[in-house]
Amino acid sequence: MKIVKAVLASFFALAMVIVLNTKFGDIPALAKFLNPFQGFWANAESKEQDRRLSLDIEGLKSDVEIHFDDQMIPHIFADNNHDLYFAQGYITAKDRLWQMDFQTRFASGRLSEVVGPKALELDRYQRRMGMTFGAENMVNAMMDDPEIKETMDAYTAGVNAYIHSLKPGDYPLEFKLLNYAPEDWKPLNSALLLKLMSATLAGGSNEFYMNNILNKFGPEITKNLFPDYPFREDPIIPVGTKWDFDPIKTPEAPKLNLSDKTAYTIKTKEIEEGIGSNNWAIAGEKSANGFPILANDPHLDLTLPSIWYQIQLASSDMNSCGVSIPGAPGIIIGFNQNIAWGVTNVGADVLDWYNIKFKDNSKKEYWYNNQWNSIKQRIETIKVTGGSTITDTVLYTHHGPIVYTSQQRPQNFSKINNIPTGHALRWVAHDGSNDTRTFFLLNRAKNYTDYRKALTFYSAPAQNFIFASIENDIAITPNGYLPLKWPGQGKFLLDGTDPANDWQGRIPAEHNPTVKNPDRKFVSSANQFPNDPSYPYYVNWEYAGYERSHRINKRLSIMSQASVDSLRNLQNDNYSILAENILATLTSLIDTKSLNSLEKEGFGIVSRWNKHFDANEIGASIFELWHKNLGVQIWQDEFDDPKAPMRYPSRDRSVELLLNEPNSIWFDNIKTPKKETRTDLVNASFKFAMDSLKRKYGPISKAWEWANLKSTHVPHLAKIAGFGSKKLYNGGSKTSVNAMSETNGPSWRMIVALGDNVKAYGVFPGGESGNPGSHYYDNMVDTWTDGKLHELVFLKSKNETSNRVISTWKLNKK
Amino acid sequence: MLFLLIALLSLILQVFFPWWIIAPVAFALAAWKSNSAKNAFFSGFLAIFVLWIIVALLHTLPNENILANRVASMLTLPSTSLSWLFVLIISAFIGGIAAGFSGLAGFYSKEVMSASKVK
Repeated sequence: MKIVKAVLASFFALAMVIVLNTKFGDIPALAKFLNPFQGFWANAESKEQDRRLSLDIEGLKSDVEIHFDDQMIPHIFADNNHDLYFAQGYITAKDRLWQMDFQTRFASGRLSEVVGPKALELDRYQRRMGMTFGAENMVNAMMDDPEIKETMDAYTAGVNAYIHSLKPGDYPLEFKLLNYAPEDWKPLNSALLLKLMSATLAGGSNEFYMNNILNKFGPEITKNLFPDYPFREDPIIPVGTKWDFDPIKTPEAPKLNLSDKTAYTIKTKEIEEGIGSNNWAIAGEKSANGFPILANDPHLDLTLPSIWYQIQLASSDMNSCGVSIPGAPGIIIGFNQNIAWGVTNVGADVLDWYNIKFKDNSKKEYWYNNQWNSIKQRIETIKVTGGSTITDTVLYTHHGPIVYTSQQRPQNFSKINNIPTGHALRWVAHDGSNDTRTFFLLNRAKNYTDYRKALTFYSAPAQNFIFASIENDIAITPNGYLPLKWPGQGKFLLDGTDPANDWQGRIPAEHNPTVKNPDRKFVSSANQFPNDPSYPYYVNWEYAGYERSHRINKRLSIMSQASVDSLRNLQNDNYSILAENILATLTSLIDTKSLNSLEKEGFGIVSRWNKHFDANEIGASIFELWHKNLGVQIWQDEFDDPKAPMRYPSRDRSVELLLNEPNSIWFDNIKTPKKETRTDLVNASFKFAMDSLKRKYGPISKAWEWANLKSTHVPHLAKIAGFGSKKLYNGGSKTSVNAMSETNGPSWRMIVALGDNVKAYGVFPGGESGNPGSHYYDNMVDTWTDGKLHELVFLKSKNETSNRVISTWKLNKK
Repeated sequence: MLFLLIALLSLILQVFFPWWIIAPVAFALAAWKSNSAKNAFFSGFLAIFVLWIIVALLHTLPNENILANRVASMLTLPSTSLSWLFVLIISAFIGGIAAGFSGLAGFYSKEVMSASKVK
């Protein structure tokens, strides 16, 4: 009897220990996670930070000093570049190790290793898109450049020095939650993070949809609804700027072939217009102190930990400050004592699909240039938690990977809706490139010449590099590897058998559009067309809508004696050019007699609305739902086809239709016997908007305010509940300069006023620390929500004192 | 007495070993010192319950409980400024239960051993 009790009790105790030490699905290993010695409690950081800390670290060539300011931003002072990048790696890992690990895993298709089979399809997708293939090519290119190799190796060593200093109880919280350990960093990981930027900013494609449209409506209608230059535009390079180069010959277009007649039976999803970024710089003639002021706010997904890591880097040959990508050396957007620079995305077409003609079902050879060519296989091995391993074969042609053959295509995976089956992907992100060299040089640049030199090394994702210098130069250059194409090449799927469809090299770097010190005394970009049709090369047929850029240019052109605050105001401008263009027409078409009392009230509000997407505007909520539903009502009947997914014409084309083509056939809903008119649709969509707001929020009240409908918030990177921000009360919209949506918006706002003492201001919606248990995890969110900026601490030397420095670390060589 | 021994030894060993070290500690000390099943269980339970609460408080109070409150939301507890207390109690309870049953197992094992010695 006693033995039975003893055995039972022992067995029960042991079983309990095992259960509490095991992760079940998404539930963490309970006692492992909840115990106060190594569990999450150990990640609760005291509000008080160490004032002084001295660490002996192996791998440094000499001692490094790091000052932390009151936002816990590190200011690193090293004697040489090796130690500088070593320390950047070390300190970035201290704050962002899990984010670096997770984003690398996401990019390379290795999430299943830590979150299990639910990420398998996503992992497959990332690998089939060739993310790692591209990153490997990038590493090779970087390692051929001795200075960049030193940079990458030092950064990697710094990250690893930090990782090796950790015991399991010190691991960042999310490692404990997901129950895995950090692994050693490699230069490939940094390359993957840079490729991730390409995937985010230059990874979209419309060709598949466009092909279905071409097949259904024919070339004439397609050209009419999807023109190669918009109805309204305000290009980056001011209209009339002379191109001071002799263009090289562009390739001939082969005669139009509809390379793919088959439509695919997959469901289309609603296409959200991606929102981009703003930057501008004003010349000294426009500023109060006579020196240029530069502003930049890149719009990306809002996440905690933040996409950006703010940092100051100083060594023997540089002293620069700004934001970096956690996981990659150098500063991406920033300034030094002589210059400031920033970036916005160029919507260049750097991703094309080629229809592949296989010899037979074995798919070992494909037809190209009148002969059979062999296909290479790349075997992807995906490990899944629990020990199983899955292999996936990706077929590579000279174009690039065939992302999905018909047998390989999964069902019900919405991310791949726009990917044509049996097509090879030609993507600039697969090419080897040494983009890090560009930032290495910009961080050290002193003048316009240095800026131009730095840009020549840059490949992807193409960016509008804006520049201002203390020598009173301002400039902007849509820059990157822009393939040399015949006009319209890649607007539709391409025939992969004909060499005339291949990219024919690149537009020479020095022929990329650029402008220096234009007459209007400012330069700017907001993802619109880089150039008007006078530019001799084809880059793409569609860019982000012109509304933000037009508003920016309008305000900058009348600005004088501008201060940092004038530009901060412009960054926070919620005015909608779209509303300016269409609201009066919309309201004039409403039949007020047909409105019920709620609709009358709403109509009054939206008619009186000041066209600012301010947080408290109810008119903004009504307008937003109204014009969006109007777009759906115009296009849905023709363009929603479950058998052949298509996209809608652009907002620009819809506005043109609405204003200038009131009797267009497109207003008629072909699915009803009645012939609908523009007026019918405008009235119906207004009623739809009012009805959906009423159903969601009841009678008109504070709940209808724009900030509430928009619901901006900053979620955790892995969407862990409780680790994101609360719902934020702010303004902005997709068509405002202050481009804001639910979880997307200005991921960093920066303004740099050059001068004898450069003054810079900035904020990002998060905090410097990636630890949800830190007071510096989300401490900047409120400042960001209010549209304010922090003055950035910029120390001229390690001995400069500042009352904003709250702590100093010494990293001593061991 | 047993309570104090388990708490002290667990405190020291948990600095070097994972949390489950509390199980062998409670087992061994209960096998050595306990005088009843009840005494073994509750000494183990209370020792770890109290120890974990104290150590957790040392982490969370200087943190103003922001992390524990976030974890509370993650565990879908109602989000209030006192939710961290629930997480604290749950954590300590889980450790306490594991140590309590280990202590109990220790006591019964001792019973078997001493019974066989008597023979």
